[in-house]
Amino acid sequence: MDYKAPVEAYTGVVREVIIGKGNKSLKIGGENILPLHFFDQGANPNPVKFALEVLDMKPEDWPEHAIEPFKDVISDPVSWAKKCQSFAVDAVSLFLVSTDPAVKNAPADKAAALAKEVAEAISVPLIVYGSGDEKKDVEVLSKVAEVCDGMNLLIGPVLKENYEAVGKAILDHGHTAIAQSPLDINLLKELNVKLSKIFPPDRIVIDPLSSALGYGMEYSFSLIERVKQIGVITKDSMTMMPIIANLGVECWKTKQAKENKKQGLLWEGMTALSLLLAGANIIVLRHPETLKLIKETIEAR
Amino acid sequence: MVIIGENIHVIAKAVSTAIRERDAKVIRDLAKAQTEAGADYIDLNVGPMKKDPEENMHWLVDTVQEVTDLPLSIDTMNPVAMEAGLKNCKKRPLLNSASGKTDSKEHMLPLAKKYNCDVVISVMTDRGMPPDVDSKIESIMDTVTYANELGIPNEDIWVDPIILPVSTAGEGQRFTVANLEFIKILGDVLPGVKSTVGLSNVSNGVPDELRPLLNRVYLVMLGRNGLYSAIADPLDKELISLIKGDMPKDVELIYKTMDGEDIDLSALSQKQVEYVKTARVLMGETLYSDAWLES
Repeated sequence: MDYKAPVEAYTGVVREVIIGKGNKSLKIGGENILPLHFFDQGANPNPVKFALEVLDMKPEDWPEHAIEPFKDVISDPVSWAKKCQSFAVDAVSLFLVSTDPAVKNAPADKAAALAKEVAEAISVPLIVYGSGDEKKDVEVLSKVAEVCDGMNLLIGPVLKENYEAVGKAILDHGHTAIAQSPLDINLLKELNVKLSKIFPPDRIVIDPLSSALGYGMEYSFSLIERVKQIGVITKDSMTMMPIIANLGVECWKTKQAKENKKQGLLWEGMTALSLLLAGANIIVLRHPETLKLIKETIEAR
Repeated sequence: MVIIGENIHVIAKAVSTAIRERDAKVIRDLAKAQTEAGADYIDLNVGPMKKDPEENMHWLVDTVQEVTDLPLSIDTMNPVAMEAGLKNCKKRPLLNSASGKTDSKEHMLPLAKKYNCDVVISVMTDRGMPPDVDSKIESIMDTVTYANELGIPNEDIWVDPIILPVSTAGEGQRFTVANLEFIKILGDVLPGVKSTVGLSNVSNGVPDELRPLLNRVYLVMLGRNGLYSAIADPLDKELISLIKGDMPKDVELIYKTMDGEDIDLSALSQKQVEYVKTARVLMGETLYSDAWLES
């Protein structure tokens, strides 16, 4: 008897989300198969995308080997962002760390002006992360949204504590939102349900929190995997959003990555590859050589 | 469905204070209210009762029996308190509970034989909580066999699969689904045994105002699969109406949801929509979140 391999066809489709405008835009998500299930019926029209980190101030706790690729531009976020483009990134992710009340408490309008300057200086879409301070971010992210009106930046983190205010600003000024919840699928869905009442679900990207290898990565892996399964297989509308894995910052916090360069690249690379296999749609990295390493791995070079 | 009234339990501060200060009125009122609401047993959940177990249990059992003729479910993990309770019951009581743990096999199960009472036996063993249906069945078969050898017949055994909160991240819904399945097949693997669950635990950790809905729908679902009894809140009128057959259309709707039938939500009342959505969460069809009614 001839063997016929079983082929699954799923009913759920991850929403295709567009970041950026015109020739400065990219699409993420849109798949109706599980990650890498290319043998099943369906497709992933938008393979995983990569962004590199840019900080709005000179990094304070980065090891020398992480600063090295950018050492000439490390105090100038605009030039830093431009330099990222020489590493063939799909997007740049600007982190407004200086606005954190516990860091420099930099004012919102200064941060917003910088975001606009960076967005205009590069030819790829811009992701903007606030400091994560739920109160200060309302001010900062709302201002970023307003000043960058119509540029369709990907802005976050939108949290359960501030989704109404931040969500409204992101919506009013034509951007896309990163909905972030703390490594819990029930809370993740709840935030999407609530945010979706005031915000179009096809402009939401999920940030489930991405822990580093050896520091809880398996939780992030299972969670991303489960979000995809529930979205694609059981067609749960509130999990059918693409996923951003913001893992550079987590990986470079580890002792292992700080110790030496090779270890750092492998640590970040292994975490990225794992979360990519779980189903992440866009990955934010710190080191350009990690990006190169992953691209070579994907293309089997 | 046999309802074991859950409202006398020491987690409630009023109850623990009443026992400590010998305030009979609080206890009598709770016993009376549950009796009038249609409970079949009154559960006396006293926890470990480390202090004066005999004296406290005597007083509690006597106080409750002054106002109700219902049989009692003596609910403690302390064998001394358990024996004191069983000894004083006028009606044939329910020992709540024993398990497959060595300690329980040695100290609790023999009491069920000694006092010739019904006994709740949970699926727990020394290895902890069995994670899936197969291991639950395997564990309970071992423990029931052990109980049979002590001279306790299947008919006196009420099996408890242990209900866990549906809201537990990632796992809660696996448990609710597994327990539905467990109850469904229990009668085939252990003919004659009865079953019971600690119902309210399914909604632990859920916003307070939403808890009764989960309890009600889950009890209807478990009941359909053959559940014999539940430790639950008899003062929840809607819960009692649902299981006593006063709301046949709503029960039918929950059954249809279990069967995966196409249901036109727009033709239903808001309450019925909530029943359908809740059943879908409990059967693992839609992912749980605290906002499950809103999506």
